[in-house]
Amino acid sequence: MDHDSAPPANPPRYKLRLFITGSTPRSTAAIQNMRRICAEHLQGDYDLEVIDVYQHPDATRDYQIVATPTLVKVLPEPLRKIIGDLSDSERVLAGLNLAQEP
Amino acid sequence: MDRSFSPPLSQAHFDDLLERLREAEETLDAIRHGEVDAVVVGGSSGQKVYTLENADRPYRVIIEQMREGAVTLSADGTILYCNERFADILGHARESLIGREVLHFVAPADTPVFAELMAHGPASGRSAELSLINADSVGVPVNFSVVDLDMGQDSARLLCGVVTDLTRSRQRSHELAAANARLAAEIDVRRRAEESLEVALDAAGMGGWDLDLAQGLIHGSKRFDEIFGREGTPGPWLVGELLARFLPEDRPAVQAGFEAARRVGSIEFELRIERLADGARRWIHVKGRVHRQQGRNGRLAGVVSDVTTRRMTEQQLRQAQKMEAIGQLTGGIAHDFNNLLMVIGGSMDMLEEHMPGDERSRRYFAAARQGVERGALLNRQLLAFSRRQDLRQEAVCIDDRVHSFQGLLERALGETITLQLVEPEARWLCTTDPHQLETAILNLAINARDAMPNGGTVSISTRRVVVDSERAQSVGAAAGNYVAVSIADTGEGMTPDVASKVFEPFFTTKAVGKGTGLGLSQVYGFVRQSDGFITIDSTPGQGTTMTLHFPLTDDPEQARAKDDAAVTLRGTGSVLVVEDDASVRDIAVRSLGDLGYTVFEASHAQSALDVVASGVGIDLVFSDVIMPGDIGGMELVQRLRRSHPAMALLLTSGYTGQAMADQPRPADVQLLAKPYTRATLSAAVDAALEKARARLRDPGKPGV
Ligand SMILES: Nc1ncnc2c1ncn2[C@@H]1O[C@H](COP(=O)(O)OP(=O)(O)O)[C@@H](O)[C@H]1O
Ligand SMILES: [Mg+2]
Repeated sequence: MDHDSAPPANPPRYKLRLFITGSTPRSTAAIQNMRRICAEHLQGDYDLEVIDVYQHPDATRDYQIVATPTLVKVLPEPLRKIIGDLSDSERVLAGLNLAQEP
Repeated sequence: MDRSFSPPLSQAHFDDLLERLREAEETLDAIRHGEVDAVVVGGSSGQKVYTLENADRPYRVIIEQMREGAVTLSADGTILYCNERFADILGHARESLIGREVLHFVAPADTPVFAELMAHGPASGRSAELSLINADSVGVPVNFSVVDLDMGQDSARLLCGVVTDLTRSRQRSHELAAANARLAAEIDVRRRAEESLEVALDAAGMGGWDLDLAQGLIHGSKRFDEIFGREGTPGPWLVGELLARFLPEDRPAVQAGFEAARRVGSIEFELRIERLADGARRWIHVKGRVHRQQGRNGRLAGVVSDVTTRRMTEQQLRQAQKMEAIGQLTGGIAHDFNNLLMVIGGSMDMLEEHMPGDERSRRYFAAARQGVERGALLNRQLLAFSRRQDLRQEAVCIDDRVHSFQGLLERALGETITLQLVEPEARWLCTTDPHQLETAILNLAINARDAMPNGGTVSISTRRVVVDSERAQSVGAAAGNYVAVSIADTGEGMTPDVASKVFEPFFTTKAVGKGTGLGLSQVYGFVRQSDGFITIDSTPGQGTTMTLHFPLTDDPEQARAKDDAAVTLRGTGSVLVVEDDASVRDIAVRSLGDLGYTVFEASHAQSALDVVASGVGIDLVFSDVIMPGDIGGMELVQRLRRSHPAMALLLTSGYTGQAMADQPRPADVQLLAKPYTRATLSAAVDAALEKARARLRDPGKPGV
C-alpha cells in the first residue's frame, strides 16, 4: 500500500499478508488500522498484500487461516498471526516484535 | 511411539508450542468476542468462507440502492428475494412478489428465451433481452442477466439475477434514429435545393460564389469559373488571383466595393475583367451579401453574370437614339433650307432673261447659280441622312452593280490602291435603291482611299448574313436574312471613339475643305431607310471594314424606270399653284407664266377648292404636299381626283420620303422633289397634262 512511497534498495524487512472478506465491517476496519500502524511504525520498510478470501479462497490454505480478518507476519521469522480488526495497536505491535517504547 | 515418554522437549520446540497454543487461544478468543466476521472452513471440496451475521450489510445496502433490479431465484424460478428497483420495474409491491414465480411476469412470446436463461449454464453468467409485463399490462423491455450461485452439494441451486430496464435506452435509440432520419432528410432537402439553385443560376447565366473573408478564399460554381475563363483547375480562388483578372483601372473600385461590403453588408458593381482563357475583355455584374458574420470571420456570397452583350446593346441603342435625334433636327433644317434654295434658284431663273449681257454680270450670275447647286447637293445629303429622300425600292444584285461601275471605282481610288472584287458564293438579291447604293459604295471607297495615303488594298465582297432576334435588337433592324457588302481597306483605321461618331453629320477628321463630314451620314441614312444597317470593324493601324446590310429578297421585281427630261417644255392651258410659302409660290407662278401657262394661285387647300369650284376651268393643279390647315396636299388631290377625274394633278415636296409613308399618293400622281428647276418643273407639268389627256382618250386604262 503505502510502502512504495519510499521503496528501499534492499528487500523490505516486513512481509505482511492481511486476509479479509470483501467489505465486511471488520475487514474494512482491519484495512484502516493496518494502514495507520504501517504509516506510524514501519517507515515504509514493509511489503503488505491485502487478500480477499472471497476471491482467493485457496490462499487461506498456505497460512491455515481460520477466520478473517487475520494479519500474517511472514517475515521476519517467526511467522505470526494476529486475528481481529487490529484495533488493539499494542497487541499488533507486540505481534510484530515492535514493543511500544514508552 | 508414545510421545509422553519421549525425551524432554528442546527449549525452542517448547517456545514454538507455547506460541501456537497462544495463537489458538487468541483465535478462539477473537471468535468468541466477535472480532471476526468470517470463518474459513477447509474441506475436501476446497476452502469455504462463511460470513457471520450482519457482515454482508454493505452488500445489501448496495443492492438496495442500485438502479438495477436484483433478484434471487430458486431453481424453479420462484422469487426468493428482490430489491426495490425490481419491484418498481414490475410496478408491484415487493411483498407481493416474494414467493411468486418470475415466469408469471415474462411476456408470453419471451418464455422460450427465459427458459434457456434459467437452464444450467456456465458459472460465469448469461444474459438475454426480453419483455416483462408490468402491473399496467405494459411490456417493459429489460436485459436479464443470471448467474448460478453454487451453495454446495447439499444446498439447493440458487440463481442471482440483475434486471436492467431498457425502456429509456430504447427510447433514446429510437429518438436518435428519428433524429438521424430527420437530419438525413434535411441534408437531402438542402442538397436538392442547392442543386436546383445551381441549375436555376446556370439557366440565368449566373455563377454563384462564396467568399471567406478570414481565409481569403473564393469558392465559385462551374459557371463562375467559366465567366472568369478558368479551365481545368477546379477549387477555390485566392482573392488576389481573382482581383488580378480585373482591368488595372477597375481594381481600386473592386477593392473599395469589398471594403464597403464589410460595413454595409452588401456589394454590387459592374466592372471589366480580362478573361483568363482568351484574354477577352468582358463586363461582369457582381452582386452579393454578407452572411454568417461571426465576429470578424465574415462570409460574402452572391452571383456573377457576364453583361457584355447587354452593355453593348445599351450602347448601340443610345447611339441609335442619338442618330435619330440628329436626323430629326437635320431634316427640319433641310426642309427650311430647301425653300430658301427654291426662292433663290427660282428668282435667278426669272432674272436670267433680264440679265445685262456683260461678262462680269454673267460671271457673278454663274457663281450664284453654282452656289445654289452646291447648296442643293448639300441639302440632298442632309435629306438622305434624315431618311427623307425619295428612294426607289428594287431587287438589286450588289455584285453586278459593283462590277458595272468598277472602272469608276478604280479611277476614284487612284493608281497606288489595288481594288479587289471578291467572287461571291451566289448572286443574292436585296431591296434597295441601285443609284444610292452606288453612291454609298463610292463614298466608302473614297474614305478608304483617304485612309491610305501611301497606297494599299480595297476589297469589296458580298455575302449572306442571317440575323437572329438578339442581334436584330442590338443593330436596330428586323431579324431575318440580309445581303452584306463589305468595303475593307488596309488603312490607318479608327479609334473606338472616332468610330462611334462617324455617322454624325459634319463629323470629319479631315482638313478644312477636304472633308464635309456628310459622306457617311448620307450612307447611314440611305441604309437605314432601306431597312438595313451598317457595322464598322476598325483597328487603328490595321484597317477598316465597313459593312452595309440590306434585306435579302427572292423576288426579282422589275425596276420602275424614271427618266427626267432636261429640256424646258413650253405649254398651254391653265395651272392652279397651291403653296403656303409666298416666295416659293411666287417663283412657281412666274416660272409657269414664263412657260406659257395661264396661272392661278392659292395659299392653302380650301382656297384651291374654292378656285376650282368657281368654274374658271383648271387643267392642272400643282400642289405642295405639306401645308397648314385641315386639308393637306394629298387629300386635296384625292378629292379633286374624285370630283374632277379629267383634271391633271402634280404634287411637290421637299420632304418626300416621310410624307409618302403617311398618306397614300394616288398611283398616277407624280411628285416633284424640291428644289426644282424650271426645267424639271416644265417636264413634270407637261407629263401630268399629257397623262390626263391620255386618260381622256382611253378612260379604261389607268395612267402610264
Ligand atoms: N475607311 C476609313 N478609315 C479611317 N477612317 C475613316 C474611314 N471612313 C471614314 N473615316 C472617318 O470618318 C470620318 C467621317 O467620314 P465621312 O462622313 O465620310 O466624312 P469625310 O470623309 O468628309 O470626313 C472621316 O473624317 C474619318 O475620320
Ligand atoms: Mg467621306
